[in-house]
Amino acid sequence: MPTPFSSLAVAGSGMSTMKTWIDTISDNVANANTVKRTSETAFQARQVFAESVSGGTAIGGGETGGGVRVSRLTTASGDGTLTFDPNNSLADANGMVRRPNVDLVEQMTSLIVAQRAYSANVTVFERARDSYLRALEIGRG
Amino acid sequence: MALIPPIGVNPAVARPIAPSTTTATDPTAATRGNSFGDSVTKALDDLQASQSKADSLARDAATGRLQNIEEYLIAASDAQLSTQLTVAVRNKAVESFNEIMRMQI
Repeated sequence: MPTPFSSLAVAGSGMSTMKTWIDTISDNVANANTVKRTSETAFQARQVFAESVSGGTAIGGGETGGGVRVSRLTTASGDGTLTFDPNNSLADANGMVRRPNVDLVEQMTSLIVAQRAYSANVTVFERARDSYLRALEIGRG
Repeated sequence: MALIPPIGVNPAVARPIAPSTTTATDPTAATRGNSFGDSVTKALDDLQASQSKADSLARDAATGRLQNIEEYLIAASDAQLSTQLTVAVRNKAVESFNEIMRMQI
């Protein structure tokens, strides 16, 4: 639905996408120590792919863009790392278990980026709303 | 607490618009055709749609079914701004109508 307040929806799409990213990061971090049997596949870190959305018509013609959306959610590939842990109840005959190769440093860095991006979208949202409210004061009184 | 204002505001603000715009559209419709009346009707429909979206999301938030908090806040802001815009347009239309009615013949 075309709305005169399109910036709000665009900023909102950014927030939703960043929220999805934060959700996947929290799942990856939560599963950073999920140990599997060597016969099983290791836990695979989830990845978010974003894409821009077309839309939004400028007053003089042309497109201002319609925001962003999650294009796909995939899981990383990888066999994990085989670790010697004979006391683990999941260990095989050689005392090996399969640990996921979730890079905690990478996940935490992504988390900071995602959180900052979310905040940036909130700031855009607030500024756009203030601009619209200011425009509504034209000719008042 | 943040959920209450949009629910409470919407019906109160939406009510005076409907009767007022019908009186405001009639004189202009006679002179300019249906374009202004159509625009107002369409704007009111859009306003109704955005307010019912905000209301249903507010209900979801209250019942704990809301997945994205920003979704509700955006819908509420959108409904609030749409209401203010419609009220501004309606005030200007009534103002013009009153101005015309005050004209000396």
